[in-house]
Amino acid sequence: MSELLHFSENELQEYALLIMACVYTLRIIWLLHFKAGRERQAPTGQFRTNTNKGIVYSWMNIAMPWAMESTRKKAFFYAQFVVFHLGVVFAIGLSFIIPYAPGLLESGILTAILQAVIGLAFLVSLVRLYRRITDKYIRAISSPDDYFSLFLLAVWFFFAVFAAPNKPEQGEAVLLTFFILTAFFLIYVPFSKISHYLYYPFTRYYFGKTMGYRGVYPLAKSKH
Amino acid sequence: MSDNRATQSHKAKKLIERMSKKLNRQMVGSMAACVHCGMCTEACHYVLTNPDDPTYAPAYKADRIRKIFKRHFDWTGRVLPWWVGAKSIKTDAELEELKDIVFGKCTNCRRCSINCPMGVDYATFNRMARGLLVSVGVMPEGVAVVSKDQWEIGNQMGVLKEEYIDTLEWMSEELSDEMDDPEAIIPIDKMDADVVYSINPREVKYDPRTIADAAKIFFLAGENWTMPSEGWDMTNFGLFSGDDDLGGAVALRLYEKVSELHGKKLVISECGHGYRSTRCEGPNWSAHSVPFEMESSVLTMLRYIKEGRIEVDKTKNNVPVTFHDSCNNARSCGLFEEPRELLNLVVTDFREMVPNRSENYCCTGGGGAMSMTEYTPQRLKSAKIKADQLKATGAKIVVTSCHNCVDGLADLIRHYKLGMEVTQLVNLVANAVIVPEKIAVEEAATAEKPKEVAVEHSLEKFKILVVDDEDDIRLYYTVLLEDNGATVIQASDGEEALKLAKSEKPDLITLDLNMPGKDGGEVFEQLRKDPGTAQIKVCIITGRPELRRLIYNRPVPQPEGFLDKPVDDSRLLYDIRKILEVG
Repeated sequence: MSELLHFSENELQEYALLIMACVYTLRIIWLLHFKAGRERQAPTGQFRTNTNKGIVYSWMNIAMPWAMESTRKKAFFYAQFVVFHLGVVFAIGLSFIIPYAPGLLESGILTAILQAVIGLAFLVSLVRLYRRITDKYIRAISSPDDYFSLFLLAVWFFFAVFAAPNKPEQGEAVLLTFFILTAFFLIYVPFSKISHYLYYPFTRYYFGKTMGYRGVYPLAKSKH
Repeated sequence: MSDNRATQSHKAKKLIERMSKKLNRQMVGSMAACVHCGMCTEACHYVLTNPDDPTYAPAYKADRIRKIFKRHFDWTGRVLPWWVGAKSIKTDAELEELKDIVFGKCTNCRRCSINCPMGVDYATFNRMARGLLVSVGVMPEGVAVVSKDQWEIGNQMGVLKEEYIDTLEWMSEELSDEMDDPEAIIPIDKMDADVVYSINPREVKYDPRTIADAAKIFFLAGENWTMPSEGWDMTNFGLFSGDDDLGGAVALRLYEKVSELHGKKLVISECGHGYRSTRCEGPNWSAHSVPFEMESSVLTMLRYIKEGRIEVDKTKNNVPVTFHDSCNNARSCGLFEEPRELLNLVVTDFREMVPNRSENYCCTGGGGAMSMTEYTPQRLKSAKIKADQLKATGAKIVVTSCHNCVDGLADLIRHYKLGMEVTQLVNLVANAVIVPEKIAVEEAATAEKPKEVAVEHSLEKFKILVVDDEDDIRLYYTVLLEDNGATVIQASDGEEALKLAKSEKPDLITLDLNMPGKDGGEVFEQLRKDPGTAQIKVCIITGRPELRRLIYNRPVPQPEGFLDKPVDDSRLLYDIRKILEVG
């Protein structure tokens, strides 16, 4: 393994993670410096709901595709969402497994799973990119950051698929590209839309708190 | 915060300055968290009825506000605005464009909010944007007029105290007659009542029977109740205009009146935005902890039945009915099952519309849309989705616990020719309630004489001049008034109206405001200034309530009546009889 690849797999990732952690911390401080709204009224709605139920329901909402009409009616899109985000988790996992636990990849089973999931996520990213370009509703709301973030992830998934076997002896280019992209990804994320997962707990917490207090969450779905 | 601030209009600068004060953590989260996934798109009734226009998509509309936020408050937007789609707002023309989006393309129904995977509450920051625009004087004319009425007169329809008290007294007399009991009255300003009942000014102006129906239920339940003489309006245009100051002031008026009367509970009549404003948002806007209990009249009526305080016979309501969930009652206050429980107790054939509960579509008249006449064509177009939903139920009556929805639904039912009737739970409960034997016998005895007979030819001695530039409307008023015995003459413009007023000396003129040539305002002033016509009673009937300023601003005595179009038979006759002091 070359020194450059070793540096890319280790120190470069640590620096990138440190930068990401700092930016995220600043981001959370920024968010928290805005005052939280307060509910002065007595709770409304039925007894089946309350603030805590609302918060938990809100956080779990994303894992309950049946809960919202938007996810219920778009099962294929929801499946894409699951695969895409699993791909992100698996690719991040891969960036830790290769430098810290390479032995896990020796059996080949884990490698195959990683490659399958990340490969599917790559395909989904292409579908999503196509949708963003061709769907007039999505195109109308897309910024350069939206396109670039998706493109960046697609490229990252692509290299992750080929980096998964971890065979530097067969050529370091793929691994180097994967780790440099990972480092870039870590640094870029807090400044981009990809940071949405940082906001998710906050937005969902406050929305769930309000809706639970007011008897709206858990949602009373349409009954036929 | 620089974005060529020097080139910004004064209003744009103020809007941005005030945005910083309005932002709270929830809103910032909603502004920052959108990933532009488009999952909200098909949740919006505007999108479903305008499939070719992406500018109706909730995320697109939200981005018009989000762009400003990002440009001025978010670091990536400050450093790389073009990269993240951040953009300031600079000119008054851009403010006008934003106004048309936040007021004209969204009813704040919150359907997109509950369909967002990220929990972005677009409706909340759309309301914030409305408030910011209002604070710099950019708003639809109807919003300005209604807000002015609520600030100055104390209610959003400009109902004067005398008119309100007069209506209560009239309804009180009707109740006494119906119950044949002098104790059956509407108590006004009674101290230490268990229930203080607050209403929507629409009930005074267009639907006094709902007051009578509620009074009947309170009386039969043996409730110790009252209605306040002032601070009685539970509606709150602050919710629609985004003006928290107005919202707080209006809510406080009501809270203070209940406290002054030592009321134990405030019962809010069926009104979605009124319930949400008074029950939920009012304490937040006014920063006031309310010391008494507040509840929707739906819960009150349901409790009366469950506790056996009133008995109902559901066979009296045997026409197929469906129920429309008001957005404010349901998606913002969790009132889903109680109205259904009550409905099932008082009707024989209840059919759910699909979708329902939290997934129901807006009546399309929400968010103050009914007062913004400039957006009426797009509102009625967007109502197609609701019309289809209603039609599919096969019901003859649509029930809703919201006055705004009553108007919105009635308008779309007329527009799409659905032939349905809109009513409220209070009307159905009052119809189903079993009146104790003694009173029932009396009722049966008087039932031989239908009300129509009593009012027929009641206008026999009167000559009425109908002034309107629309042939259909003139014909409608003329037929209705002639059927009731009046002698009717017609004028299609201002000049002709003045001429006929002088020559024919009618007892009453129904006057449209928006007419080609001499408008109704000018005609009215000339009528009042001419000693020969000054005494003629005038009832203004307009489809554009914001044009009432044409009358308010004139230095002559006010007209005897105001009616907003569309007008139904009973309301027109009621007002005209009242003005002419008939019956």
